Amino acid sequence: MKRRLVGRLADAALILYFLFALFPIAWMVLLSLKPADQLFSTYFSFTPTLDSYRTVLGDSEGIPFVRFFVNSLVVSVGAVALSLVVGLPAAYASARWRFRGSENLMFTLLSFRFAPELTVIIPLFVLYQKLGLFDTYVGMVWVLQLVTLPLVVWIMRSYFTDLTPELEQAALLDGYSRKQAFFRVALPLVKPGIAAVSLLAFIFAWNNFVFPLILTSSSAQTVTVGALSFLGGDRPKYNLTAAAALVSVVPPLLLALTIQRYLVRGLSFGAVKS
Amino acid sequence: MGLRVTLRPYLLVVPALLLTCGILYPFALGLYYTLFDFSASKPQPDMVRFQNYETVFTQDAFWNSAWVTVLYAVGAAAVETVLGVSVALLLHRSSLVGRVLEKILILPLMIAPVIAAIMWKLMLQPSVGVVNHLLKPFGLGGVQWTDTPTGALLSSIAVDVWVYTPFVAILALAGLRSLPTSPFEAAAVDGAGWWYTFRRLTLPMLWPYVLVAVIFRFMDSLKVFDIIYALTEGGPGDSTVVLQIRAYLEAIRFQRYSFGISYTIVLWAVVYLAAMVLVRHLGRIQRKAAEVSR
Amino acid sequence: MSVALRDVHKAYGRTTALDGIELRVEEGEFFCLLGPSGAGKTTTLKTVAGLERPDSGTVEIDGRDVRDVEPYDRGVAMCFESYALYPHRSVYDNLVSPLRSPRHRLPAAEARERVGAIAELLGISGLLDRSVGQLSNGQRQRVALGRVLVRPARAFLLDEPLSHLDAKLRQQMRAELKAIGAVRRTTTLYVTHDSVEALALGDRIGVIRDGRIVQTGTREEIWYRPYDTEVARAFGRPRINLLPGTVTEAGEFRSVDGAVELPLPVRASAGSEVLVGVRPRDVSLAGDGHRLSGSVYVTEVLGRSVEVTVRIGAQHLSLVVPRSEAAGLRPDEPVRPAVRAENLLVFEADRPGRPGRRIGKST
Repeated sequence: MKRRLVGRLADAALILYFLFALFPIAWMVLLSLKPADQLFSTYFSFTPTLDSYRTVLGDSEGIPFVRFFVNSLVVSVGAVALSLVVGLPAAYASARWRFRGSENLMFTLLSFRFAPELTVIIPLFVLYQKLGLFDTYVGMVWVLQLVTLPLVVWIMRSYFTDLTPELEQAALLDGYSRKQAFFRVALPLVKPGIAAVSLLAFIFAWNNFVFPLILTSSSAQTVTVGALSFLGGDRPKYNLTAAAALVSVVPPLLLALTIQRYLVRGLSFGAVKS
Repeated sequence: MGLRVTLRPYLLVVPALLLTCGILYPFALGLYYTLFDFSASKPQPDMVRFQNYETVFTQDAFWNSAWVTVLYAVGAAAVETVLGVSVALLLHRSSLVGRVLEKILILPLMIAPVIAAIMWKLMLQPSVGVVNHLLKPFGLGGVQWTDTPTGALLSSIAVDVWVYTPFVAILALAGLRSLPTSPFEAAAVDGAGWWYTFRRLTLPMLWPYVLVAVIFRFMDSLKVFDIIYALTEGGPGDSTVVLQIRAYLEAIRFQRYSFGISYTIVLWAVVYLAAMVLVRHLGRIQRKAAEVSR
Repeated sequence: MSVALRDVHKAYGRTTALDGIELRVEEGEFFCLLGPSGAGKTTTLKTVAGLERPDSGTVEIDGRDVRDVEPYDRGVAMCFESYALYPHRSVYDNLVSPLRSPRHRLPAAEARERVGAIAELLGISGLLDRSVGQLSNGQRQRVALGRVLVRPARAFLLDEPLSHLDAKLRQQMRAELKAIGAVRRTTTLYVTHDSVEALALGDRIGVIRDGRIVQTGTREEIWYRPYDTEVARAFGRPRINLLPGTVTEAGEFRSVDGAVELPLPVRASAGSEVLVGVRPRDVSLAGDGHRLSGSVYVTEVLGRSVEVTVRIGAQHLSLVVPRSEAAGLRPDEPVRPAVRAENLLVFEADRPGRPGRRIGKST
């Protein structure tokens, strides 16, 4: 009897928390479906319309939101790709061999995770303007390494460390070269890790705000900065802001639901394994 | 074979090393800039040695920002820890409701903090926001959420809590699921009560996992930017100008580059020190937890 | 082919793995390397295979220094303690991998035939289509052995291939390995921490400790002339009896409390502290030899024989006798065990970190 009551109370507490967690998302959906003329006159009862989405995706407010969306895609994919190409060999090397400077490099990378972004961005802001990298894809992909590279290297290192080197050694004895052992044996076995870390790095790159805020102005601007611009102007366009916010959170939310299983290691940089 | 084998790990890390240097270079450059009075109005700067830092430390604005930053970081990290661990414990009971809800636990965490702040800004708007509308039946309508100093700080913390509580909960839940079962079985055989089991077994063994989450959260909130930028822009007045916002205002808004960077360098030093202390603490806690589970 | 290691050193950071290994395995020999975990057994194997580079010293295969020879070209096949099977592939894929590798390139049809034959030999024909992840430990062990046998290697390196098996399966596999070894006469370097396994399988045995080979020899040599007390303790269950005492002026042994006195088969300087060793099966209750007097402490049935522990003063002497001889023995019953001087081993006293060496003619 008492047990059941405790169970009920626990469920109730959980539901309360999830109301808090989910209500803002639900509210944005409602807000984005409101017609402009009912925006401030009603709360829950209104005639739903997709007008806000049409406006936002039709670039009709003078804000090229579709372009921002494409920019976000390009720089996030670019940043993840570069991090994988550069980070996978480094992660593998530091998991397999002890060599001088390896730990220093790893901890320097980790410290990026905790460095205040502006420490690097303000000098880059000056530097990029001189080099012509301001407001470009290349400039954004480069600076996003600050976010994606430590993630890729640390998490992939923990995956490679978990893999016994004897698998690759067996391949060497079988007649595979070191390179073939890596590509045919080690890499397929950490494929789930690579997939998970790519998606997580993509999400973090996509969600980044400070870099595009300061290092782009229009042609390479991303959705996170773009969504904010609907709040500007004389009359607040709440319905458009809500629609823009929702559109910009769709990719990370969809991806997040697919990598649930691998999240723990990713979020903690390999410090906690599940 | 000999030389190639010795060099192999180095060759593999060369690209990452180059990239790292590429990122360290602006940092070093920034450090160098702080020794000058470099700004948009003075593109040919003079060396001023440590004057920027002196100005930082003698400004009331800095101490105000530092205080606000600490309040924010401690407040957010504390609430997220308590709430996150509670949610994890509730989910660990694994009721039907819990299993369903666990699947969507992560959602707020995957929303860009700046977007989250925008969402909350719409909801907290004093006259037409939905929060005040929902509070009206309780006689609490018309709260000036982000327009009073305390309200603005609390609202910012609330958004941080909304986004990052799942982070703590997910790590704590992973910790709970990986705890060895034998100590709990032994406690059950001994007839230990729920509270005793929780205090003497669950908490000490879980603590390393929670601490990893707390370290991440505390250090991240020390350098909060997105949420405050979108929600309050540091206002009203100076009440939510955390250090990174102050640095942004100085460097980008007022274009006093050298001075702005000096702020971030000071913040960097603080974060670094905090990390050292916390990581050392983590090592001690992990050893203790290992003893408990033995 | 023959394998030799000369003064091989290897360190990982500050820990020394190999500290001057000297080892020679002859053509067609089944050589067992016995030692506790952490002694450097696996490192030795991997050094032979070319997977680890020695810091100094040389590895020779057929008398040729193989320093710069790639692992595959050394012509050895290795069975890893972790099995090192590709978990995402089928048993067949795992077995065929050595045959179809970029260097080996055996035609598919021949490879299939060969895998079939080996699978038959190991009784895993029915498992070929299964994924390694679905197999039991014993089955994995067989697949791992199969992958070694499938390739026409000139030497096998086996790292604790039976350690993860339960007692019954281990015995069965031991017999199979012995049979295969006897038929193939392929040089085999076999690593184990189990002295029973080493005695059962090895033509010769090398005892490794702290990165050094302490003693090499046939099982008789290791058994009858162990290098020191540690080696003597490692072989034989129940363990050898080691009684502490001193050498008298007359060149005889007297235990610390004087309760045991024995003639010594070797010369030892008077007054020196020694340990006298005698194996439980070399002590009898009915046979002839030097008589000791004590009383029964405890008896334990070991199948057809019985282990009797006899108390002699402060000493415990364990002996193994046929059931008939032990029938009716009661605790505290006086007995007179007999020991023959030629079965006694004499060692220097143990010192911390240095087990006592055997005194007498060396091998």
